[in-house]
Parts: sequence; structure tokens; C-alpha cells
Amino acid sequence: MNILKKVKSLLQEAELYHKQGLLDEAKGKYNKAKELIQDDELLKDKQSLMDGIAKKMDLLEIDIEKVEQAEKRPEVAADVQDLIKRLYTFAADQDEDTIALDGAIALAKFGQYDSALAEFNELIKKESLRVVAAKNILRCHMAMSSVDEAFTQYEQWLSEDMFVPDQIDKLRMFFEGILEKEGIDRTLPAAKIQEEDDAHLLDIFEMDEQQTQETAAEGVDIDGFEFEEDEVESDEILDINSIRLTVESGPREGQTLELIVNFQSGNVISLLIPNRDKDLVDCFSVGDMIKNIECYSPIAIFNSSGLVSDVMQIKTGPRRGDYNLDIKVVDN
Amino acid sequence: MAIFNLKKREIECKIVYYGPGRCGKTTNLEYIFKTYKKQITGEMVSVDTEGDRTLFFDFLPMGLGKIKGCDVRVQLYTVPGQVQYTSTRKLVLKGVDGVVFVSDSLEVRREKNMISLKDLQQNLKEYGSSIFKIPLVMQHNKRDLIKQGFPIMSIEQMEKDLNRQLKVPSFPASALNGEGVGETLKECLKLTLKSFKKEMNL
Repeated sequence: MNILKKVKSLLQEAELYHKQGLLDEAKGKYNKAKELIQDDELLKDKQSLMDGIAKKMDLLEIDIEKVEQAEKRPEVAADVQDLIKRLYTFAADQDEDTIALDGAIALAKFGQYDSALAEFNELIKKESLRVVAAKNILRCHMAMSSVDEAFTQYEQWLSEDMFVPDQIDKLRMFFEGILEKEGIDRTLPAAKIQEEDDAHLLDIFEMDEQQTQETAAEGVDIDGFEFEEDEVESDEILDINSIRLTVESGPREGQTLELIVNFQSGNVISLLIPNRDKDLVDCFSVGDMIKNIECYSPIAIFNSSGLVSDVMQIKTGPRRGDYNLDIKVVDN
Repeated sequence: MAIFNLKKREIECKIVYYGPGRCGKTTNLEYIFKTYKKQITGEMVSVDTEGDRTLFFDFLPMGLGKIKGCDVRVQLYTVPGQVQYTSTRKLVLKGVDGVVFVSDSLEVRREKNMISLKDLQQNLKEYGSSIFKIPLVMQHNKRDLIKQGFPIMSIEQMEKDLNRQLKVPSFPASALNGEGVGETLKECLKLTLKSFKKEMNL
């Protein structure tokens, strides 16, 4: 193909991609056209062609910048926020407060942190939702990268009478867990730590996702990829707040315990177990199948089985010395 | 999952349009909104950002009338295709009953199609579902560009890349002018309702 024809074809492609919003692809074609022109020493009118492409690339760069500068999680209009709450509230059969809580969580999940905070700050006034609302307030501040705000809020709660010591202790454990997960090495102000028994029931609605940037290109073969067909067959996994199980072996064999779920990612739940309960940790080994786990979610209680996928002592941070137990919920 | 309200005799199901950025998911919904007015039961809501890119989701409610005495209501959603919105895609996918995977026929988007399908598989898996089990239909969009001489992939190539193992129904389409849009949706609805019927032992 004649060089001018090739250039023309590349420019047409670039125009199309630009029009379609495929900005990187458009840039690639413009650059290729420039290379062809530069490499051809015999080409007439080289400079005017290059100038023409430069102008088009300037326009393209403006659009690229607009996209890059656009806020990733802007606050949207109130009617859209209402729609988000309506469409992503999965506790429709529950009481009014639970529905309100679920709605606020939906807002937070869509990055509408200011509105979510306003709603959680109302919900915290209700005794039954106080702790869970507080936890989500901390979550929102952390998601907004306002670590200082989260600390200030926590300190304020410590100085107020809003929470009983046991609730403050739950909040502290929760907050320490977030800080640990985020790799933030800051010590929380001292709070009265009560003796805990085996029941670490925590009534939090986990926000099950971190807003992570993805490098999705990993592991994709350009010649087509293979799916693993032996995927776990189970129904959708709900957010799990806590579990109840009977220890099947080890020092606490036969004991029935309720344990809090500190984190959840898909069907893997993580439990943070204090160092003083090491005998409980000794009851679980990686690969153990736990039958008959009762899972408590905000909208349902269901029975499940679980595969112990990790047992690890935490080496650094405020929970150093405590244990992390990961259980994969495999069947519900 | 689909909601069957016995009292009201209503079935409500959720169909999600998935695919790489700029492949035409929103265009599909816009065409449906424009064309199937009789079945549309509310406004189409689009939450988009700079350059008409979907930010959170598009939403379009439809009513299919009565099937065996039950009102069938369908909610159509799109996910944001841009790579960085992975957590939003997962949120939108929650409770999905059927999926339309829209692929881009442009050669330059070949890898993006595969990445997006892999992302769908992963997100379904994290919800305890499987890409092999969920009602899924594939739509190879932008076929019209071949007439303008632009480099697009052959259907055979796209089937080999994306549908070799899945073997789900697939349709060539040009969402901009509506070709293949209705067929794709109808097939997905058919598979979704069939799966629902099986699940509920109806």
C-alpha cells in the first residue's frame, strides 16, 4: 500500500476510535501514522502532515486529560442516591431501621461517603444500631482517607457516655483491625478492656470490598483463556456478621462458640482471635472442614460448612500476637 | 437472585449487561428504552461521567406481562466497563439472574474483551456462582463497522476467543442501529426464566 494511503487509513481509524471514546487506541494509531511519515524520507509535504496530526493529537490529549481528571467517585444527585438505596438494599423484609442501615451501607459502597456518614450519624442515635453505625462511620472516614477524622471520632466516643465499655471494646477491636489491614501503625487511645468470654459476637455489617485499582490484564492469554471448570458450587454468599460453631477437636472440643467475623471477601471470612484464646486457635488447622456452621447475616441466618484456609499469628501492628483465622464458606 | 413474590404473584429478575469499556452496553439499553416502549415501566437512569462513560450503572425497568398468571418484571443493568471500576462492577452484579456479555468487534479491543470476560467469571465466582451455570448470552457488537472498512474481527475469531468453552448463544449486533439488540435480550430472558422455572420447580 502506498504510504499516503496507509497514513490515511491509520488516521481514519484514529478518528473512529477517538469518536468512540477509545482514546488510547486513537493515540496509538496517530503515533503509528507519525512514525510512518517520519521514516519516509521521500514524502512530500511532510511537515504539514505532521502539523495536522499534531493538532488532532492535541484535541485527543484534552479528552484524555478530562477523563483522567474526572472524579472517580463523585457525590451524585439526591435522586440517584435514593435509587442506589432502593436498588441495593437487600433487607427489604426487615424492620425500618435495618432497611435504613442497609441503605446507608449501599451509599457507602458506591462511594457516597458524605451522605452515608450523615445517615450513619442519625442511625447511631438508635440503641440497637449504635455499634454497627459507629463501625461504618469509622469505615467511611478510612475510605475517605481521613484517618485523623476517624481517630478524632473514636476519641470523642471514648469521652462520651454514648457507648458502654463493652461496646467501646468492640469498636476498638474493629478499628484496630482496620488499621492493621491498612498497614497503619498508630496506637489507639487506651480504653477499659473488659475480660472477654468465649463469645465475641460482633454485629457489624461488613462492607465487603475495598476500592482497589485493578490490573486486570494479569493472567490473560491473548490466544484465548481457559476457565477452571471446578468452581465452587454454592449460592450467593451474603455478608456474614458472626458465626456459631461447635468445636470438633482440640482443647475445646465440644464447646459451642459464637465468633465475630472481622472481615469478609467473597466467601472467605476472617476472624481475629485474641492471643489469650490460643487454645481455641489450636482447635483449627488449615484444611480442616468444619461442619454445621450457623452464619448470621443482616438479613438471614443460614447453615453452612467451612474450610479452614489460613491460621496465622499476626506479627506486626496493634494486634501483634493475636491470631487470624480464615474460613472459606463452601456450602450454604 | 430472582424474587418470586407469591402473595402478589410477581417474579422479578435482574439482567446485567457486562463487557469492556465503550463496547456498547449503554447503547443496548438506550435502544431497548427507545424501541420497546410498551414493556418499559419507568425511566432509564444513567449514572455516567466524563465522555459518557458509565460511572456506576445504567438501570432500566421492564414489564413482560403475565406468564402463568404471574407478573414478570425485569430490571436491566449495565456495569461500568472501565477497568478501575472493578468494585462497582461486583456490586452491580450482586443478585444477578442473567448476563448479556457485550463484546467489541474492533480488532484493537480483542484483549479487552477477554479481560472483561475473565473479570465476569471472577466476580461471579466470588458470589459463589459460575459463568458456566448462569444464564449467559453473548453479543458481538459493532458489526456495522466492517461496512466502513474498519478492522474488525471475524465472528469465528470472536467465538474462538470468548465462546470456545462456554458455548452460549451468541448474536452479531450493531447496537447503534438496533441490529441484534432485541434478539440478544429475548434469548437472555428466555434462558433466565427457564433457569428460574427449574430452580423453583414450576
